[in-house]
Formats: sequence, structure tokens, C-alpha cells
Amino acid sequence: MSLVNGAVPTTIIVAGLALAGGALLMTALNRRMGGGLLAALGVLEILLLVLVGMIVAKIIGGGRPAGGLAVLIGYLVAIPLVPLAAGFWGALERSRWGPAVIAVAGLVAAVLMVRLHEIWPAIGV
Amino acid sequence: MSEPVTSPGQVTSSEPVTSPEPVTSPEPVTSPEPVTSPEQEPAPESAPSQPESTRSGPGRLLVAVYGLFALSASARAAVQIATKFGHAPVAYLLSALAGVVYIVATVTLGNGSPLARRIAFVSCSVEFIGVLAVGTWSLLDKPTFPDATVWSGYGSGYGYVPLVLPVFGLLWLRYWAKRTKTRPPAAAERSLSAASRRRPSGTPGARRSR
Repeated sequence: MSLVNGAVPTTIIVAGLALAGGALLMTALNRRMGGGLLAALGVLEILLLVLVGMIVAKIIGGGRPAGGLAVLIGYLVAIPLVPLAAGFWGALERSRWGPAVIAVAGLVAAVLMVRLHEIWPAIGV
Repeated sequence: MSEPVTSPGQVTSSEPVTSPEPVTSPEPVTSPEPVTSPEQEPAPESAPSQPESTRSGPGRLLVAVYGLFALSASARAAVQIATKFGHAPVAYLLSALAGVVYIVATVTLGNGSPLARRIAFVSCSVEFIGVLAVGTWSLLDKPTFPDATVWSGYGSGYGYVPLVLPVFGLLWLRYWAKRTKTRPPAAAERSLSAASRRRPSGTPGARRSR
């Protein structure tokens, strides 16, 4: 469980911020959505699914979050949907604003790690 | 989609053959596929810089952020009201109100019809007034807000995005009101005739006259 307490959330924060930076750069350069951005989004999705799996294992193992189990489960359901929704919505756009949607997903992923830590301090960042 | 960098949509010139992309190949004649380029650019006649609807162009980002807040605010309010309503009823009801406003704004901005844009204008206005009023209220009357709402402290818990979001929403709607007025398609003419019949505060004409 030590991975929950640091490595994976930190990796997600770094990856999310890097994705947001790259995507915003594409917006600034007037680039449209491309395969590279969607692949990076897929990597973020996998990282988030790994984290969700580890947190579920922690709950099954008897851990209880300080901020309430219902809230945490809500987050666990919503978190994997963020890159998916952003990917679909951004891929529909044929202008520079498609990558901007992906940038939001990267930022949200990073912010969600901080929120998870607030709900359950055992999930480190 | 195989080469996103050389997408013809960003090339505004009418000649896709001479697309100035140094990465692709030294022979510019053979590099562009004449079959793929027209299908990637669906409507070259209509100006490509202009978004087609309120949900495309900058609106794509706007609707995405509105959807994010619609989900987070309403889910947060639902959990708070279901689990601990007595703890901070005012705060939780205001969270629910914010959630409803965000949902309405997301749907109407995503729809983009003249009626939807009027509803979106009302929704964004309520949102802007709400974040200012609740923000001030939460700072002046802290006992009423033992728990935070989306709009507490002018949205400080959400990076002040709730404060700037309605401003961008209203600017985006104003852009569309101006655009449909200067170049009115059939839909906009229907909107104007509907506005002359029934004139709430959200019509483009009412806003323009101020």
C-alpha cells in the first residue's frame, strides 16, 4: 500500500500537469487534436485506473477514509471518467480548442489527487 | 488523423498542396493526399475561423468546464444534503442551486439554439450574481457557512474559476448575439421575431439597448 502513499498520486500530478502544459502549448500554437495527445490521455487514464484499483483494495482491506466513504466512492467513480469525457469531447473539435479541453482534464486529474488526499490523508501526494 | 501536425484545418490558404510544413517531406507535391484533404476540411466555403455553434471553438472549452462544474457542484450538494443536511442547510441548498445553474448553463450552451442562448444568458447572469452575493455573504456571515459551497469566498475553493466562468460565458453569448445580428440566418430572424413578441431581460435587443 505504500504506492498509494506517494508514488502513484505524485506521478499522476506530474503527468496531468505535463499533459495540461503540452495541450495548452498546442492551443497556443493553433494545433488541432492529434494522436499524440490522445495517447498521453490514455496513459493518464491507465494511471488513474491503477490508483482507483489500489484505493479500492485499501477499502476492502478495512481502511476507512476520514472524509466519508460515500464521498470517496463518488470520486472513485468520477475519476476514470475525466480523461474519457475529455477525449470524446475534445476529439469532436476541429480547432485549437480541442487540446484546450484535454488541458482541463490534465489539470483536473492533478487537482483530484489533492482532493483525494484531503478526503483520505492515507492517500499521499 | 495519422498526421495531426499537418492538419489542413490550421492552414487558412486555399492551396493545401503547398502547405508550408517543413517536417513532412522534401517533395511537397507528393506529400499531401488529394483524397484525404477535402474530407478533413468539411466546409471550406464557410470561414474556417468562425465556430459553427456555441459548443464549438472556444465554446468547446467553455462547455467542458461548465460540465465539470455541473457534475462536481451537483454531486457535492447531493452528498451533503443526503448525509448531513442539518449541519449547514443554507450552504448545502446554495450548493444545490449552483449545481442546477451549472447544469442549465451546460445544456443550453451545448445546444446553442436562439432559445437556448437566452436561457444560457439568464443562467450565466444568475451564476455571476450568485457567486458575488454568496461570496460576500460567506465572508460576512461565517456562522451560516460552517461548510463551504462552490461559491463561498467567490469560489476560492475552486481556484476562482466560478468567478470568471460566468464572465466568459456572457462574453461568448454576446459574441453570438452580435454575430447573429450582423449576419442573420433564418434561425436568428426567428429569434428576433420571437424577441419582439416576448421580451425578457435576456434578449439580444434588450441587452443592446442598454
